[in-house]
Amino acid sequence: MAQNIVEQQSTLPDALLKQLIAVGQVDILVGLPTLNNASTILGVVRAVHLSFTRDFPRLRTVMINSDGGSTDGTPDVIRAGSFSDSDMVQTSHPLRTLHRVLSPYHGLPGKHTALRAIFAAAELTQAKTLVVLDPTGPATKPERVTELVGPIARGEVELLAPRYRRHPRDGMLITQFLRPAIRALYSIGLDEPLGAEFACSGRFSSHCLEQDIWSHESARFSIDLWLRTEAAAERFAIGQIWRPMSTLSGARATLRDVVRQVVLSLIESLRAHESFWLTASPISELHTWGIDPLEAPEPAPWDYPALAEQARHDIAEITPLLESVLEPALLVRLKEVTTGPQPLLDDEFWVRTVYAFAAAIRHGRAAVEHLADMFVPMYLWRASSFMARTEAEPTAAVQQRLDSLCDAFQRLKPALVASWKNET
Amino acid sequence: MIQEIADALVQSWNNFSEAFVLFVPRLVAAAIIFAGGFIVAVLVRRVTRRALAWLQFDRLTLRSGANEMLRAAEMPTAEVLIAKILFWIVLLGFTVSAVDTLQFGPFQGLMQEFFRFVPRFLVALLVLSLGLLVSNFLWRATLLASVNAGLPAPRLLSGVLRVLVIAIGVVMALEQIGLATAVVLTAFAITFGALMLGLAIAFGLGGRDVARTLLEEQLRAKRERDSDAAPHL
Repeated sequence: MAQNIVEQQSTLPDALLKQLIAVGQVDILVGLPTLNNASTILGVVRAVHLSFTRDFPRLRTVMINSDGGSTDGTPDVIRAGSFSDSDMVQTSHPLRTLHRVLSPYHGLPGKHTALRAIFAAAELTQAKTLVVLDPTGPATKPERVTELVGPIARGEVELLAPRYRRHPRDGMLITQFLRPAIRALYSIGLDEPLGAEFACSGRFSSHCLEQDIWSHESARFSIDLWLRTEAAAERFAIGQIWRPMSTLSGARATLRDVVRQVVLSLIESLRAHESFWLTASPISELHTWGIDPLEAPEPAPWDYPALAEQARHDIAEITPLLESVLEPALLVRLKEVTTGPQPLLDDEFWVRTVYAFAAAIRHGRAAVEHLADMFVPMYLWRASSFMARTEAEPTAAVQQRLDSLCDAFQRLKPALVASWKNET
Repeated sequence: MIQEIADALVQSWNNFSEAFVLFVPRLVAAAIIFAGGFIVAVLVRRVTRRALAWLQFDRLTLRSGANEMLRAAEMPTAEVLIAKILFWIVLLGFTVSAVDTLQFGPFQGLMQEFFRFVPRFLVALLVLSLGLLVSNFLWRATLLASVNAGLPAPRLLSGVLRVLVIAIGVVMALEQIGLATAVVLTAFAITFGALMLGLAIAFGLGGRDVARTLLEEQLRAKRERDSDAAPHL
């Protein structure tokens, strides 16, 4: 315990430490990591304060803003939007690391550092409930903040993740890869493994703080995924809550970078939790709080025929490298489908490909970063194939295809488990 | 006359007999050394393979890509190859020692030469192995980076780099064992210099417009490839 406190103190700047000591113990701590969010942050800050004063007047509350060095005056906007200084604490988190600044998928460089500071603050203030909000919204109404607190404060779950009503042709990286993979491997029906917002118990945040992830290279872009997989692997109760889709900020990385980040994140999690997921079954469906929006927004358009052509070209170029990853039969099939007129990649082939990459990384058949790069055109081909195939299909039929893909990931899991355990 | 011939024959026979009597024990000793060396070499081969297996050397070779290259060259796995190399070095050492025991004039000092050569040979092998590993890594990295950046002819680019690095490794290895050093170095320098100069002249004089078009297309292609990830998340 003493060592833990010393570590937290070294995590937190002196000024923040003094402010937190002045705040004392709290029941609810809201964390707000920011970077150039002046245009959206005011609504979020007001919603937090309204939620505190209207819905939790008898509880001790505090909001902590950790800013990554905004140049658009975000900290000033937050100060101006706060009702009083007593329930708001501001700090900053460094963005520069020893190597380079990387643009992560969530558009918030240094989010892991901000989260670490927020978790350490929660530990010091002995917060029972911790809520981390997306600075771009959607928590612009007090009830959107309050609903995140409820299930945690009542002790029903220890991690509450957002769930979005998506069109089945939207968010291909989530629906074609991450969601079915997490569902099959970690045996949890988690819809959004990368959602920016979440709420958790003080116990879970303390647990995370103790883990050796914060100085890890992959934490820089994988922290959201890691939090969810860690909760599943350590058997913390997880729930979901319907949330409106957040407005996308402009500071996102390119698609290729994002696919790489997601692959590296997942692999890092699989390595860390192999004692859990190798034996995890059956799938536990998660309870969802909130009101189902029912209506899914129309999917954002993207030029999938152009991406398919890029993927076709890239796969042809890297075929010699794929020989070390895919079985000969898969490789032959891949050559067949990528030379056809239409992008085509069926579920089983796609799942086998994903699992072959996981096994290749496990057995060090090439550098992890190289394998992640090789995976990019495979994903582009699969996503384009799915879009082409479902272009004229009704929404229900497309959703059925997504469910069928989840089944394929689940059905073929034993093959991955066997090759993961296989030493050669 | 006949007597002289008979004397010469007797003398020759005596010389031969003396030489034979002296040679037979050396031959037996050489045979024993060779046979013992063969047994030791076999033992070394077995022990090496087991030790490398115990150290999980195959994982290292898999990770470095060496296994893949050896498979492509239809060669045995790295641990088998290392065991074989050690086998032949030990066997050659004993063979040279056996030949030295026979005390043949032309082979005098062979033993010293051999033991001077072995370390250089091992260093050369190491240099060559490192060259192959580095070339393989660079080939892979260049191919992927150029594919991701949308550069034209990624395979050609990465292949040229790979060949270049292997060539540098081979030249360094040959220099290490002192094999036709001057010829090899000169040939390499001339070929490499000519290639680079040729490319520079061709690109500078003949391909300015092509270069401009290529760069423009490249920049356009990069913008297209750097598509926003938002619709995928």
